[in-house]
Amino acid sequence: MTGPLAIEVENLRKVYGSKAAVDGLSLTVPCGSFFGFLGPNGAGKSTTIRMLTGLIPPTSGSIRLLGMPLAGQELEIKRHIGLVPDESLLFDRLTGAEFLEFVGRMYGLARPVARERAGELLNLFELAGQPRQLIAEYSKGMRKRIAMAASLIHRPQLFLMDEPFEGVDAVGARLMKDILLDQVRQGATIFLTSHVLEVVERLCDRVAIIHEGRIVREGAMQELRTGSETLEDVFVRVVGAEREFQKLEWL
Amino acid sequence: MIAAILRAQWLSMRSFRMGPGRRAAIFSILTAALWYGFWTALACGAEQFTSSPAASATMPAALAIGLLLIFLYWQFAPIISASLGASLDLKKLLVYPVPHRKLFVIEVLLRLTTCAEMLLVLAGSVAGLIRNPVYGGIAGIPRLVTPFLFFILFNLLLSAGIRNLLERLLSHKRLREIIMLVVVIGAALPRLVLVSHSRVAALQRFVKDAPGGFWPWSATVRFALGHEVFLSGLILIGWTAAAFAFGRHQFERSLRYDAQATAGPKRNDRTHSRLEPFYRLPSLFLPDPAAAIVEKELRSLSRTPRFRLVFIMGFSFGMIVWLPITFGTRLGARGSLVAEHYLTIVSVYALTLLGQVSYLNTFGFDRSAAQIYFLAPVSMAKSLVSKNVAVVLWIAVEMLAVTLASFVLRIRLAPASIAEAFVVTAIVAVYLLAMGNLSSVHFPRALNPERVSQGGAASRMQALIFVFYPIALLPVFLAFWAREVFQSQVFFSAILAFAAVLGAVVYWIAMDSAVHTVVERRETILMELSRSEGPVATE
Repeated sequence: MTGPLAIEVENLRKVYGSKAAVDGLSLTVPCGSFFGFLGPNGAGKSTTIRMLTGLIPPTSGSIRLLGMPLAGQELEIKRHIGLVPDESLLFDRLTGAEFLEFVGRMYGLARPVARERAGELLNLFELAGQPRQLIAEYSKGMRKRIAMAASLIHRPQLFLMDEPFEGVDAVGARLMKDILLDQVRQGATIFLTSHVLEVVERLCDRVAIIHEGRIVREGAMQELRTGSETLEDVFVRVVGAEREFQKLEWL
Repeated sequence: MIAAILRAQWLSMRSFRMGPGRRAAIFSILTAALWYGFWTALACGAEQFTSSPAASATMPAALAIGLLLIFLYWQFAPIISASLGASLDLKKLLVYPVPHRKLFVIEVLLRLTTCAEMLLVLAGSVAGLIRNPVYGGIAGIPRLVTPFLFFILFNLLLSAGIRNLLERLLSHKRLREIIMLVVVIGAALPRLVLVSHSRVAALQRFVKDAPGGFWPWSATVRFALGHEVFLSGLILIGWTAAAFAFGRHQFERSLRYDAQATAGPKRNDRTHSRLEPFYRLPSLFLPDPAAAIVEKELRSLSRTPRFRLVFIMGFSFGMIVWLPITFGTRLGARGSLVAEHYLTIVSVYALTLLGQVSYLNTFGFDRSAAQIYFLAPVSMAKSLVSKNVAVVLWIAVEMLAVTLASFVLRIRLAPASIAEAFVVTAIVAVYLLAMGNLSSVHFPRALNPERVSQGGAASRMQALIFVFYPIALLPVFLAFWAREVFQSQVFFSAILAFAAVLGAVVYWIAMDSAVHTVVERRETILMELSRSEGPVATE
């Protein structure tokens, strides 16, 4: 693989007690790519993203983001990352505008700039209707949209997204996809996990499948699929899912 | 079903209460030992008193007053300390086919979590009565124990009803703080009246002549001591039945209650809060990102019902509690040492009250969103200092409110005493913030901002307060002591200045340690802050 790398992970391990949640993961994501990181529940996707963001330290292995080692240049790297985590990153007692302005200022934007961008993002994500509504009163889809808006406000070069489309309605999801594709066209890199394989198939140019903490398949989308196979077919074949429910006679 | 719910709760709480590390577990055990050790000592004292034949003459009155105090503590201490105790999380349980009466039994049993210490004292008292030969000894056990069991049941049922009633009332936005405040002040009123207006003889008779009345505490005593057993038994059964009816009725109403439906229409005619200039204040003297964090703290804390309640209690309830102690019947009277330092005392009391909802658990209300401090390109030291600055601003506002309230109550305050109160509170705050930073990273705990009161009984935080607040107050206490002993303002100022310098050093060391701990324990901290509860809401 040639060209600069947005993510460079080597032999990454995260061990909890005697269980390895991530077990010797090595991965490279080129700059400007839309990368899908797939895996069944408990495969180690969220743990990997949490290690990439510095939220949890790896047991061993190395991480380089945007050409810089995470261990030594954590603060500098964080300036260029936009994160949409699986868990809520939202301060419930702020309004959407206040939260976006806060995030912008945390990433070094001047207050007037953060305020202006916050207003524009609220309009874009159709959240400007009730300016004094607290995030605590938002629906699940609205929470995802504000989290997405927050990840954009400082115009990051690398997006780390854990199930960004979960709970979002069709219109919101379409908007989010369009924005992400536009960001990639402008040179940003997106590293995304999702269980909605149709979405991944449509958006991503590269995919890696993680299973039991290890990468079991990686490559360009066209390389992974053979013939008329869909990504779902590949995924089910690779992770070895079986229909066990037929064994339960009472069901 | 009851067993399944309790087991689910036990499994949920097992690691939550104890924390993931051995250190946290040991601390939990030590703090619980400290808290319950105190009440066990009190129970031993009660046992000594009630077992003494020499105390027989004063026993009826003393025991009745004791039971009245237990009743007041049982019913009002959870409200006053904004800690209503564990309760069933009905949202999680109503989807299952569990009969309401079974849920009610659990709800009543959970009331034990708020006042386990009262059971200790009651057990001590009953044990003493059994040992006292005047009251029949072993043979008198049924007569001695039965009324106390009814008394406990009465209290459990009543507190279940009060809790459910309060929870519903407190779910009304904006009204909840006012309701809570009225309840809290109402709870303190008898004491206030007793201490400050000696002419209110009726209220004193209510306490002193309790054995002659029909109150549950006096009926319990009469039954236990063998006076009019039948009539007292009927009175006790009547009170217990009334408490059951009240508790069950309130519980049923809570089951059918829809908080959102009663919230009423939202007002969205304004785009900005009236407090916007206050929120923007930090930006005038701080650069970003510190200003952004302080501003965020000011906004979110001011909108957090639990914080608002404690903040209001600081300058209202605090003053009401200290007023009679300080001045007796004469407001503005001078002379006593405590009266001289009224403003300082109330301010420091308000500062300690704020601890549980701000600096002692600084990430508590952020819960899982605390991740942002780890994700953003901002050092943890800067984040902690910014959060501390926000608390300092709240303390300043609290002190201004206390001072204003003092003027409204026409308490004579010299300018020097006002300045002294501000300086002393600021110095104490430095020590408390240092301790708070350490406790925030060693014992983080997710707090529910919607709940006006906390759920736990004797928790780590309460023990922390008992252990560390005296240490934090020691330097300024020494300064006051030196002024009294040596009658020297210079001595006082010098020790106060030394305490301030020492406080700064302590703060710096604690900050360094807290930042190191955050780096080492970030995973554990975030896990604790993201934790959700079991079928019983204990937080």
